[in-house]
Amino acid sequence: MRNNIKNITILFVLITLFVPFNVFGQGATEQNALFEGLEKFWHSTGFANFQFKYLVMILVGVIFITLAVKKGWEPLLLIPIGFGMIIGNIPLPIGSDEGIGIYEEGSVLNILYSGVIDGWYPPLVFLGIGAMTDFSSLISNPKLMLLGAAAQTGIFITFFGAYALGFTPEQAGAIGIIGGADGPTAIFLTSKLAPELIGTIAVAAYSYMALVPLIQPPVMNLLTTKKEKLIRMKPPRPVSKTEKIVFPIIGMILTTFIAPSALPLLGMLFLGNLLKESTVTERLAETARFALINTITILLGLTVGASTQADRFITLDSLKIFGLGALSFVVATAMGVLFAKLINVFLKEGNKINPLIGSAGVSAVPAAARVSQEQGLKADRTNHLLMHAMAPNVAGVIGSAVAAGILLNMLS
Amino acid sequence: MTLLAISEFEQILLYSFIGVSVVFSALIILVIAFKIMGNISKKSFKSKKKQNQESTTEIVDEKEMTGQEIAAISMALHLFLSDMHDEESNVITIKRIERRYSPWSSKIYGLTNLIR
Repeated sequence: MRNNIKNITILFVLITLFVPFNVFGQGATEQNALFEGLEKFWHSTGFANFQFKYLVMILVGVIFITLAVKKGWEPLLLIPIGFGMIIGNIPLPIGSDEGIGIYEEGSVLNILYSGVIDGWYPPLVFLGIGAMTDFSSLISNPKLMLLGAAAQTGIFITFFGAYALGFTPEQAGAIGIIGGADGPTAIFLTSKLAPELIGTIAVAAYSYMALVPLIQPPVMNLLTTKKEKLIRMKPPRPVSKTEKIVFPIIGMILTTFIAPSALPLLGMLFLGNLLKESTVTERLAETARFALINTITILLGLTVGASTQADRFITLDSLKIFGLGALSFVVATAMGVLFAKLINVFLKEGNKINPLIGSAGVSAVPAAARVSQEQGLKADRTNHLLMHAMAPNVAGVIGSAVAAGILLNMLS
Repeated sequence: MTLLAISEFEQILLYSFIGVSVVFSALIILVIAFKIMGNISKKSFKSKKKQNQESTTEIVDEKEMTGQEIAAISMALHLFLSDMHDEESNVITIKRIERRYSPWSSKIYGLTNLIR
Protein backbone atom coordinates (compact mmCIF):
# COMPACT_ATOMS: atom_id res chain seq x y z
CA MET A 1 0.00 0.00 0.00
CA ARG A 2 2.71 2.47 1.04
CA ASN A 3 4.84 1.50 -1.93
CA ASN A 4 1.95 2.22 -4.28
CA ILE A 5 1.45 5.71 -2.87
CA LYS A 6 5.20 6.34 -3.19
CA ASN A 7 5.19 5.23 -6.85
CA ILE A 8 2.17 7.37 -7.72
CA THR A 9 3.78 10.42 -6.07
CA ILE A 10 7.04 9.94 -8.02
CA LEU A 11 5.07 9.58 -11.26
CA PHE A 12 3.09 12.75 -10.55
CA VAL A 13 6.27 14.76 -9.82
CA LEU A 14 7.87 13.51 -13.05
CA ILE A 15 4.81 14.47 -15.11
CA THR A 16 4.76 17.93 -13.52
CA LEU A 17 8.43 18.45 -14.32
CA PHE A 18 8.47 17.05 -17.83
CA VAL A 19 5.28 18.39 -19.34
CA PRO A 20 6.46 22.05 -19.39
CA PHE A 21 9.85 21.01 -20.83
CA ASN A 22 8.03 19.08 -23.50
CA VAL A 23 5.96 22.17 -24.35
CA PHE A 24 9.08 24.38 -24.47
CA GLY A 25 10.66 21.96 -26.86
CA GLN A 26 7.86 22.27 -29.41
CA GLY A 27 9.13 25.41 -31.12
CA ALA A 28 9.71 29.11 -30.63
CA THR A 29 6.08 30.23 -31.32
CA GLU A 30 4.56 28.04 -28.66
CA GLN A 31 7.33 29.02 -26.27
CA ASN A 32 6.61 32.72 -26.81
CA ALA A 33 2.87 32.21 -26.36
CA LEU A 34 3.45 30.47 -23.09
CA PHE A 35 5.78 33.17 -21.83
CA GLU A 36 3.38 35.90 -22.93
CA GLY A 37 0.57 34.17 -21.08
CA LEU A 38 2.68 33.78 -17.98
CA GLU A 39 3.83 37.40 -18.18
CA LYS A 40 0.27 38.62 -18.59
CA PHE A 41 -0.79 36.58 -15.62
CA TRP A 42 2.14 37.90 -13.58
CA HIS A 43 1.20 41.51 -14.36
CA SER A 44 -2.35 40.90 -13.22
CA THR A 45 -1.26 39.58 -9.81
CA GLY A 46 -1.11 41.65 -6.69
CA PHE A 47 2.61 40.89 -6.32
CA ALA A 48 3.52 42.63 -9.60
CA ASN A 49 1.45 45.73 -8.74
CA PHE A 50 2.47 45.85 -5.11
CA GLN A 51 3.36 49.19 -3.57
CA PHE A 52 4.24 49.86 0.03
CA LYS A 53 1.25 52.19 0.53
CA TYR A 54 -1.17 49.29 -0.12
CA LEU A 55 0.48 47.33 2.67
CA VAL A 56 0.06 50.31 5.01
CA MET A 57 -3.68 50.42 4.27
CA ILE A 58 -4.02 46.64 4.67
CA LEU A 59 -2.33 46.98 8.06
CA VAL A 60 -4.77 49.76 9.02
CA GLY A 61 -7.61 47.37 8.10
CA VAL A 62 -6.06 44.66 10.28
CA ILE A 63 -5.75 47.16 13.16
CA PHE A 64 -9.48 48.01 12.80
CA ILE A 65 -10.41 44.33 12.97
CA THR A 66 -8.08 43.79 15.94
CA LEU A 67 -9.59 46.75 17.83
CA ALA A 68 -13.08 45.40 17.17
CA VAL A 69 -12.25 41.86 18.28
CA LYS A 70 -9.89 42.54 21.19
CA LYS A 71 -11.35 45.77 22.58
CA GLY A 72 -14.94 45.39 21.43
CA TRP A 73 -14.99 48.95 20.01
CA GLU A 74 -17.93 49.27 17.59
CA PRO A 75 -17.35 45.78 16.10
CA LEU A 76 -20.44 46.02 13.88
CA LEU A 77 -18.75 48.88 12.02
CA LEU A 78 -15.05 48.30 12.39
CA ILE A 79 -15.07 44.70 11.15
CA PRO A 80 -16.82 45.41 7.80
CA ILE A 81 -14.79 48.62 7.35
CA GLY A 82 -11.49 46.94 8.27
CA PHE A 83 -12.16 44.02 5.94
CA GLY A 84 -13.31 46.44 3.24
CA MET A 85 -9.98 48.26 3.59
CA ILE A 86 -8.15 45.02 2.91
CA ILE A 87 -10.39 44.32 -0.11
CA GLY A 88 -9.92 47.83 -1.46
CA ASN A 89 -6.15 47.68 -1.18
CA ILE A 90 -5.44 44.43 -2.96
CA PRO A 91 -3.19 45.85 -5.71
CA LEU A 92 -4.93 45.77 -9.07
CA PRO A 93 -3.22 46.32 -12.45
CA ILE A 94 -2.99 50.04 -13.24
CA GLY A 95 -5.59 51.08 -15.80
CA SER A 96 -7.28 47.68 -15.79
CA ASP A 97 -10.86 47.56 -16.97
CA GLU A 98 -11.66 44.11 -15.66
CA GLY A 99 -14.57 45.49 -13.66
CA ILE A 100 -13.23 44.55 -10.24
CA GLY A 101 -12.23 47.73 -8.40
CA ILE A 102 -14.73 49.85 -6.50
CA TYR A 103 -14.09 52.87 -8.74
CA GLU A 104 -14.58 50.91 -11.99
CA GLU A 105 -17.95 51.63 -13.56
CA GLY A 106 -20.25 48.61 -13.45
CA SER A 107 -18.16 46.42 -11.14
CA VAL A 108 -19.96 44.58 -8.34
CA LEU A 109 -18.27 46.71 -5.69
CA ASN A 110 -19.10 49.85 -7.67
CA ILE A 111 -22.78 48.88 -7.77
CA LEU A 112 -22.78 48.28 -4.02
CA TYR A 113 -20.94 51.59 -3.56
CA SER A 114 -23.79 53.45 -5.29
CA GLY A 115 -25.69 53.40 -1.98
CA VAL A 116 -22.90 55.51 -0.49
CA ILE A 117 -22.27 57.79 -3.48
CA ASP A 118 -25.96 58.44 -4.15
CA GLY A 119 -26.64 58.68 -0.43
CA TRP A 120 -29.43 56.13 -0.05
CA TYR A 121 -27.78 53.89 2.55
CA PRO A 122 -27.83 56.55 5.32
CA PRO A 123 -31.63 57.09 5.28
CA LEU A 124 -32.15 53.33 5.51
CA VAL A 125 -29.78 53.17 8.47
CA PHE A 126 -31.79 56.00 10.04
CA LEU A 127 -34.99 54.00 9.56
CA GLY A 128 -33.43 51.19 11.59
CA ILE A 129 -32.13 53.59 14.23
CA GLY A 130 -35.62 55.07 14.58
CA ALA A 131 -37.12 51.61 15.02
CA MET A 132 -34.54 50.84 17.74
CA THR A 133 -34.65 54.10 19.69
CA ASP A 134 -36.77 54.77 22.70
CA PHE A 135 -37.34 58.52 22.88
CA SER A 136 -39.23 58.38 26.20
CA SER A 137 -36.32 59.82 28.25
CA LEU A 138 -36.30 62.76 25.84
CA ILE A 139 -40.07 63.22 25.96
CA SER A 140 -40.12 63.10 29.77
CA ASN A 141 -37.40 65.76 30.10
CA PRO A 142 -37.38 67.83 26.88
CA LYS A 143 -34.91 70.46 28.15
CA LEU A 144 -32.15 67.84 27.81
CA MET A 145 -32.61 68.23 24.04
CA LEU A 146 -30.64 71.48 24.30
CA LEU A 147 -27.53 69.49 25.24
CA GLY A 148 -27.88 67.73 21.88
CA ALA A 149 -28.00 71.13 20.19
CA ALA A 150 -24.99 72.46 22.12
CA ALA A 151 -22.82 69.52 21.07
CA GLN A 152 -23.50 70.32 17.41
CA THR A 153 -21.53 73.55 17.85
CA GLY A 154 -18.49 71.36 17.24
CA ILE A 155 -19.67 70.84 13.65
CA PHE A 156 -19.72 74.54 12.86
CA ILE A 157 -16.44 75.36 14.62
CA THR A 158 -14.73 72.60 12.62
CA PHE A 159 -16.45 73.83 9.45
CA PHE A 160 -14.84 77.18 10.05
CA GLY A 161 -11.49 75.58 10.96
CA ALA A 162 -11.47 73.39 7.84
CA TYR A 163 -12.11 76.41 5.65
CA ALA A 164 -9.27 78.27 7.37
CA LEU A 165 -6.97 75.31 6.58
CA GLY A 166 -7.60 75.70 2.86
CA PHE A 167 -10.53 73.39 2.09
CA THR A 168 -13.35 74.63 -0.13
CA PRO A 169 -16.56 75.64 1.69
CA GLU A 170 -18.27 72.42 0.49
CA GLN A 171 -15.39 70.24 1.68
CA ALA A 172 -15.23 72.19 4.96
CA GLY A 173 -18.94 71.52 5.55
CA ALA A 174 -18.46 67.79 4.94
CA ILE A 175 -15.45 67.71 7.28
CA GLY A 176 -17.30 69.64 9.99
CA ILE A 177 -20.08 67.05 10.15
CA ILE A 178 -17.56 64.50 11.54
CA GLY A 179 -18.13 66.32 14.86
CA GLY A 180 -21.75 65.19 14.76
CA ALA A 181 -20.38 61.69 15.55
CA ASP A 182 -22.92 60.25 13.21
CA GLY A 183 -21.56 58.03 10.44
CA PRO A 184 -24.68 57.91 8.23
CA THR A 185 -25.17 61.68 8.45
CA ALA A 186 -21.51 62.27 7.58
CA ILE A 187 -21.80 59.97 4.55
CA PHE A 188 -25.07 61.55 3.45
CA LEU A 189 -23.74 65.10 3.57
CA THR A 190 -20.34 64.25 2.05
CA SER A 191 -21.99 62.39 -0.84
CA LYS A 192 -23.82 65.60 -1.68
CA LEU A 193 -21.13 68.20 -0.96
CA ALA A 194 -17.72 66.62 -1.49
CA PRO A 195 -17.97 63.06 -2.91
CA GLU A 196 -14.20 62.99 -3.48
CA LEU A 197 -13.66 62.94 0.31
CA ILE A 198 -16.27 60.33 1.16
CA GLY A 199 -13.88 57.49 2.03
CA THR A 200 -11.70 59.60 4.28
CA ILE A 201 -14.58 61.34 6.05
CA ALA A 202 -16.54 58.12 6.59
CA VAL A 203 -13.51 56.32 8.00
CA ALA A 204 -12.66 59.32 10.21
CA ALA A 205 -16.28 59.55 11.48
CA TYR A 206 -16.57 55.84 12.24
CA SER A 207 -13.08 55.64 13.76
CA TYR A 208 -13.79 58.49 16.13
CA MET A 209 -17.19 56.98 16.98
CA ALA A 210 -15.35 53.81 17.96
CA LEU A 211 -12.87 55.87 19.96
CA VAL A 212 -15.58 57.74 21.95
CA PRO A 213 -14.63 55.81 25.16
CA LEU A 214 -11.09 57.11 24.77
CA ILE A 215 -11.68 60.67 23.53
CA GLN A 216 -14.50 61.83 25.80
CA PRO A 217 -13.52 60.94 29.41
CA PRO A 218 -10.45 63.24 29.65
CA VAL A 219 -12.49 66.20 28.34
CA MET A 220 -15.37 65.41 30.72
CA ASN A 221 -13.05 65.09 33.71
CA LEU A 222 -11.25 68.30 32.84
CA LEU A 223 -14.46 70.33 32.69
CA THR A 224 -16.37 68.98 35.71
CA THR A 225 -15.77 69.22 39.44
CA LYS A 226 -16.15 66.32 41.87
CA LYS A 227 -19.30 67.97 43.26
CA GLU A 228 -20.88 68.27 39.81
CA LYS A 229 -20.17 64.62 39.04
CA LEU A 230 -22.13 63.62 42.12
CA ILE A 231 -25.34 65.44 41.09
CA ARG A 232 -28.29 63.06 41.19
CA MET A 233 -31.04 63.64 38.69
CA LYS A 234 -34.74 63.06 39.23
CA PRO A 235 -36.01 59.83 37.70
CA PRO A 236 -37.81 60.51 34.39
CA ARG A 237 -41.63 60.63 34.56
CA PRO A 238 -43.58 57.81 32.90
CA VAL A 239 -44.48 58.63 29.29
CA SER A 240 -47.87 57.65 27.87
CA LYS A 241 -48.29 55.67 24.67
CA THR A 242 -50.04 58.62 23.02
CA GLU A 243 -47.04 60.86 23.68
CA LYS A 244 -44.73 58.26 22.19
CA ILE A 245 -46.87 58.05 19.04
CA VAL A 246 -47.27 61.80 18.70
CA PHE A 247 -43.52 62.45 19.14
CA PRO A 248 -42.33 61.15 15.74
CA ILE A 249 -45.14 62.92 13.89
CA ILE A 250 -44.71 66.32 15.53
CA GLY A 251 -40.93 65.94 15.69
CA MET A 252 -40.76 65.23 11.97
CA ILE A 253 -43.04 68.10 10.99
CA LEU A 254 -41.28 70.69 13.16
CA THR A 255 -37.70 69.76 12.32
CA THR A 256 -38.20 69.30 8.58
CA PHE A 257 -40.12 72.56 8.29
CA ILE A 258 -36.98 74.24 9.66
CA ALA A 259 -34.44 72.17 7.71
CA PRO A 260 -36.17 70.53 4.72
CA SER A 261 -32.82 69.31 3.33
CA ALA A 262 -32.63 66.89 6.26
CA LEU A 263 -35.91 65.27 5.17
CA PRO A 264 -34.40 61.99 3.90
CA LEU A 265 -32.68 61.43 7.23
CA LEU A 266 -35.25 62.81 9.66
CA GLY A 267 -38.22 61.43 7.71
CA MET A 268 -36.81 57.92 7.90
CA LEU A 269 -35.71 58.29 11.53
CA PHE A 270 -39.17 59.33 12.68
CA LEU A 271 -40.92 56.80 10.43
CA GLY A 272 -38.85 54.03 12.02
CA ASN A 273 -39.82 55.32 15.44
CA LEU A 274 -43.50 55.49 14.54
CA LEU A 275 -43.37 51.89 13.29
CA LYS A 276 -42.02 50.94 16.70
CA GLU A 277 -44.24 53.05 18.92
CA SER A 278 -47.52 52.49 17.08
CA THR A 279 -47.22 48.81 18.20
CA VAL A 280 -49.43 47.74 15.28
CA THR A 281 -46.57 47.41 12.77
CA GLU A 282 -44.29 45.23 14.83
CA ARG A 283 -43.28 43.16 11.78
CA LEU A 284 -42.13 46.22 9.88
CA ALA A 285 -40.35 47.65 12.92
CA GLU A 286 -38.60 44.36 13.48
CA THR A 287 -37.43 44.22 9.86
CA ALA A 288 -36.16 47.80 10.06
CA ARG A 289 -34.32 47.27 13.34
CA PHE A 290 -32.77 43.91 12.49
CA ALA A 291 -32.71 42.61 8.90
CA LEU A 292 -32.65 45.92 7.05
CA ILE A 293 -30.18 47.84 9.20
CA ASN A 294 -27.88 44.82 9.45
CA THR A 295 -27.82 44.35 5.67
CA ILE A 296 -27.15 48.03 5.05
CA THR A 297 -24.49 48.15 7.77
CA ILE A 298 -22.59 45.29 6.14
CA LEU A 299 -22.76 46.90 2.68
CA LEU A 300 -22.02 50.38 3.98
CA GLY A 301 -19.06 49.28 6.08
CA LEU A 302 -17.61 47.09 3.35
CA THR A 303 -17.87 49.66 0.57
CA VAL A 304 -16.70 52.57 2.70
CA GLY A 305 -13.69 50.47 3.72
CA ALA A 306 -13.04 49.41 0.12
CA SER A 307 -13.20 53.03 -1.04
CA THR A 308 -10.05 53.85 0.94
CA GLN A 309 -7.67 52.84 -1.82
CA ALA A 310 -4.16 53.88 -0.89
CA ASP A 311 -3.78 56.11 -3.99
CA ARG A 312 -6.73 58.22 -2.89
CA PHE A 313 -6.46 57.84 0.88
CA ILE A 314 -2.81 58.44 1.79
CA THR A 315 -2.67 62.18 1.22
CA LEU A 316 -1.93 65.27 3.28
CA ASP A 317 -5.61 66.21 3.08
CA SER A 318 -6.57 62.94 4.79
CA LEU A 319 -4.19 63.76 7.61
CA LYS A 320 -5.75 67.21 7.98
CA ILE A 321 -9.25 65.67 7.94
CA PHE A 322 -8.32 63.25 10.72
CA GLY A 323 -6.87 66.10 12.77
CA LEU A 324 -9.96 68.26 12.26
CA GLY A 325 -12.23 65.30 13.05
CA ALA A 326 -10.50 64.78 16.40
CA LEU A 327 -10.78 68.50 17.16
CA SER A 328 -14.45 68.39 16.19
CA PHE A 329 -15.15 65.55 18.63
CA VAL A 330 -13.33 67.25 21.48
CA VAL A 331 -15.14 70.56 20.88
CA ALA A 332 -18.53 68.81 20.63
CA THR A 333 -17.94 66.96 23.91
CA ALA A 334 -16.73 70.10 25.65
CA MET A 335 -19.67 72.19 24.42
CA GLY A 336 -22.18 69.59 25.66
CA VAL A 337 -20.62 69.51 29.13
CA LEU A 338 -20.25 73.30 29.35
CA PHE A 339 -23.83 73.89 28.22
CA ALA A 340 -25.12 71.53 30.92
CA LYS A 341 -23.18 73.62 33.45
CA LEU A 342 -24.71 76.77 31.98
CA ILE A 343 -28.26 75.38 32.25
CA ASN A 344 -27.54 74.48 35.90
CA VAL A 345 -27.03 78.17 36.69
CA PHE A 346 -30.74 78.74 35.98
CA LEU A 347 -32.07 75.59 37.63
CA LYS A 348 -33.15 75.19 41.22
CA GLU A 349 -31.39 72.82 43.62
CA GLY A 350 -32.86 69.36 43.16
CA ASN A 351 -33.58 69.93 39.47
CA LYS A 352 -29.95 70.28 38.38
CA ILE A 353 -28.42 68.33 35.51
CA ASN A 354 -25.34 66.21 35.97
CA PRO A 355 -22.90 67.79 33.45
CA LEU A 356 -21.47 64.37 32.64
CA ILE A 357 -24.54 63.71 30.46
CA GLY A 358 -23.72 66.78 28.35
CA SER A 359 -21.04 64.86 26.49
CA ALA A 360 -23.72 62.44 25.27
CA GLY A 361 -25.03 65.28 23.08
CA VAL A 362 -22.76 63.97 20.31
CA SER A 363 -24.91 61.48 18.52
CA ALA A 364 -22.80 58.32 18.82
CA VAL A 365 -25.71 56.21 20.11
CA PRO A 366 -25.42 54.58 22.61
CA ALA A 367 -21.64 54.72 23.04
CA ALA A 368 -21.63 58.34 24.26
CA ALA A 369 -24.45 57.67 26.76
CA ARG A 370 -22.54 54.64 28.01
CA VAL A 371 -19.45 56.81 28.60
CA SER A 372 -21.57 59.20 30.72
CA GLN A 373 -22.88 56.25 32.72
CA GLU A 374 -19.37 54.87 33.31
CA GLN A 375 -17.96 58.24 34.36
CA GLY A 376 -20.95 58.79 36.66
CA LEU A 377 -20.41 55.40 38.28
CA LYS A 378 -16.72 56.17 38.80
CA ALA A 379 -17.70 59.22 40.87
CA ASP A 380 -20.58 57.50 42.70
CA ARG A 381 -21.22 53.78 42.37
CA THR A 382 -24.94 54.20 42.89
CA ASN A 383 -25.56 57.11 40.51
CA HIS A 384 -26.86 55.67 37.24
CA LEU A 385 -26.93 58.27 34.47
CA LEU A 386 -27.65 56.06 31.47
CA MET A 387 -31.37 56.83 31.15
CA HIS A 388 -30.75 60.57 31.51
CA ALA A 389 -27.83 60.49 29.06
CA MET A 390 -29.95 58.78 26.42
CA ALA A 391 -32.02 61.99 26.08
CA PRO A 392 -29.19 64.26 24.82
CA ASN A 393 -27.80 61.29 22.92
CA VAL A 394 -30.91 60.81 20.76
CA ALA A 395 -31.36 64.60 20.58
CA GLY A 396 -27.85 64.62 19.12
CA VAL A 397 -29.05 62.35 16.31
CA ILE A 398 -31.82 64.83 15.49
CA GLY A 399 -29.48 67.81 15.95
CA SER A 400 -26.75 66.45 13.67
CA ALA A 401 -29.33 65.64 10.97
CA VAL A 402 -30.69 69.20 11.22
CA ALA A 403 -27.12 70.57 11.05
CA ALA A 404 -26.45 68.44 7.96
CA GLY A 405 -29.64 69.79 6.39
CA ILE A 406 -28.59 73.38 7.07
CA LEU A 407 -25.09 72.86 5.64
CA LEU A 408 -26.55 71.16 2.60
CA ASN A 409 -29.00 73.98 2.11
CA MET A 410 -26.39 76.72 2.44
CA LEU A 411 -23.51 75.13 0.53
CA SER A 412 -25.01 73.15 -2.32
CA MET B 1 -23.59 82.12 -3.71
CA THR B 2 -22.71 85.50 -2.21
CA LEU B 3 -24.61 87.15 0.57
CA LEU B 4 -24.25 90.91 0.29
CA ALA B 5 -20.80 92.24 -0.53
CA ILE B 6 -18.76 90.31 2.01
CA SER B 7 -15.65 88.18 1.69
CA GLU B 8 -15.89 84.38 1.56
CA PHE B 9 -14.23 84.19 4.98
CA GLU B 10 -16.92 86.39 6.52
CA GLN B 11 -19.54 84.40 4.66
CA ILE B 12 -18.28 81.15 6.22
CA LEU B 13 -18.33 82.80 9.64
CA LEU B 14 -21.90 83.91 8.99
CA TYR B 15 -22.89 80.42 7.84
CA SER B 16 -21.44 78.93 11.03
CA PHE B 17 -23.37 81.38 13.13
CA ILE B 18 -26.62 80.76 11.19
CA GLY B 19 -26.06 76.99 11.43
CA VAL B 20 -25.67 77.00 15.21
CA SER B 21 -28.67 79.31 15.62
CA VAL B 22 -30.92 77.17 13.41
CA VAL B 23 -29.95 73.91 15.20
CA PHE B 24 -30.69 75.57 18.54
CA SER B 25 -33.96 77.07 17.36
CA ALA B 26 -35.12 73.73 15.87
CA LEU B 27 -34.48 71.94 19.12
CA ILE B 28 -35.86 74.79 21.25
CA ILE B 29 -39.11 74.57 19.27
CA LEU B 30 -39.16 70.82 19.93
CA VAL B 31 -38.51 71.46 23.63
CA ILE B 32 -41.42 73.91 23.80
CA ALA B 33 -43.72 71.58 21.87
CA PHE B 34 -42.96 68.63 24.12
CA LYS B 35 -43.12 70.71 27.30
CA ILE B 36 -46.66 71.67 26.27
CA MET B 37 -47.47 68.08 25.34
CA GLY B 38 -45.99 66.87 28.64
CA ASN B 39 -48.09 69.34 30.61
CA ILE B 40 -51.26 68.27 28.77
CA SER B 41 -50.39 64.64 29.40
CA LYS B 42 -49.71 65.31 33.09
CA LYS B 43 -53.02 67.14 33.45
CA SER B 44 -55.00 64.40 31.76
CA PHE B 45 -53.17 61.82 33.91
CA LYS B 46 -54.05 63.79 37.04
CA SER B 47 -57.69 64.19 36.03
CA LYS B 48 -57.96 60.46 35.29
CA LYS B 49 -56.39 59.71 38.66
CA LYS B 50 -58.85 62.09 40.32
CA GLN B 51 -61.77 60.45 38.54
CA ASN B 52 -60.57 57.03 39.66
CA GLN B 53 -60.20 58.27 43.23
CA GLU B 54 -63.68 59.77 43.14
CA SER B 55 -65.19 56.57 41.81
CA THR B 56 -63.41 54.51 44.52
CA THR B 57 -64.54 56.98 47.17
CA GLU B 58 -68.08 56.46 46.02
CA ILE B 59 -67.75 52.74 46.61
CA VAL B 60 -66.10 53.26 49.98
CA ASP B 61 -68.80 55.70 50.97
CA GLU B 62 -71.44 53.15 50.06
CA LYS B 63 -72.57 52.00 53.48
CA GLU B 64 -75.79 50.57 52.33
CA MET B 65 -74.24 47.23 51.41
CA THR B 66 -75.59 44.24 53.17
CA GLY B 67 -73.36 41.70 54.87
CA GLN B 68 -74.29 39.11 52.25
CA GLU B 69 -73.14 41.37 49.42
CA ILE B 70 -69.82 42.04 51.14
CA ALA B 71 -69.33 38.30 51.72
CA ALA B 72 -70.11 37.57 48.06
CA ILE B 73 -67.64 40.19 46.83
CA SER B 74 -64.96 38.91 49.26
CA MET B 75 -65.52 35.34 48.08
CA ALA B 76 -65.34 36.42 44.41
CA LEU B 77 -62.14 38.33 45.09
CA HIS B 78 -60.65 35.40 46.97
CA LEU B 79 -61.43 33.00 44.13
CA PHE B 80 -60.09 35.40 41.54
CA LEU B 81 -56.84 36.08 43.39
CA SER B 82 -56.23 32.43 44.22
CA ASP B 83 -56.74 31.59 40.54
CA MET B 84 -54.15 34.17 39.64
CA HIS B 85 -51.55 32.36 41.74
CA ASP B 86 -48.78 30.97 39.67
CA GLU B 87 -48.95 27.22 40.26
CA GLU B 88 -46.81 24.94 38.21
CA SER B 89 -47.47 21.28 37.61
CA ASN B 90 -43.80 20.53 38.37
CA VAL B 91 -43.78 17.98 35.56
CA ILE B 92 -41.14 18.48 32.96
CA THR B 93 -41.70 16.67 29.70
CA ILE B 94 -39.86 16.56 26.44
CA LYS B 95 -42.12 17.29 23.56
CA ARG B 96 -41.30 14.92 20.78
CA ILE B 97 -41.61 16.29 17.28
CA GLU B 98 -41.92 14.00 14.28
CA ARG B 99 -39.64 15.08 11.49
CA ARG B 100 -39.33 13.73 8.00
CA TYR B 101 -36.09 11.91 7.34
CA SER B 102 -33.56 13.89 5.37
CA PRO B 103 -29.85 13.21 4.81
CA TRP B 104 -29.25 16.86 5.75
CA SER B 105 -30.34 16.20 9.30
CA SER B 106 -29.24 12.60 9.52
CA LYS B 107 -26.99 11.80 12.42
CA ILE B 108 -25.37 8.88 10.65
CA TYR B 109 -23.99 11.18 7.93
CA GLY B 110 -22.41 13.36 10.56
CA LEU B 111 -20.40 10.54 12.08
CA THR B 112 -16.89 9.72 10.98
CA ASN B 113 -16.78 6.17 9.67
CA LEU B 114 -13.40 4.82 10.65
CA ILE B 115 -12.24 1.78 8.71
CA ARG B 116 -10.84 -0.81 11.06
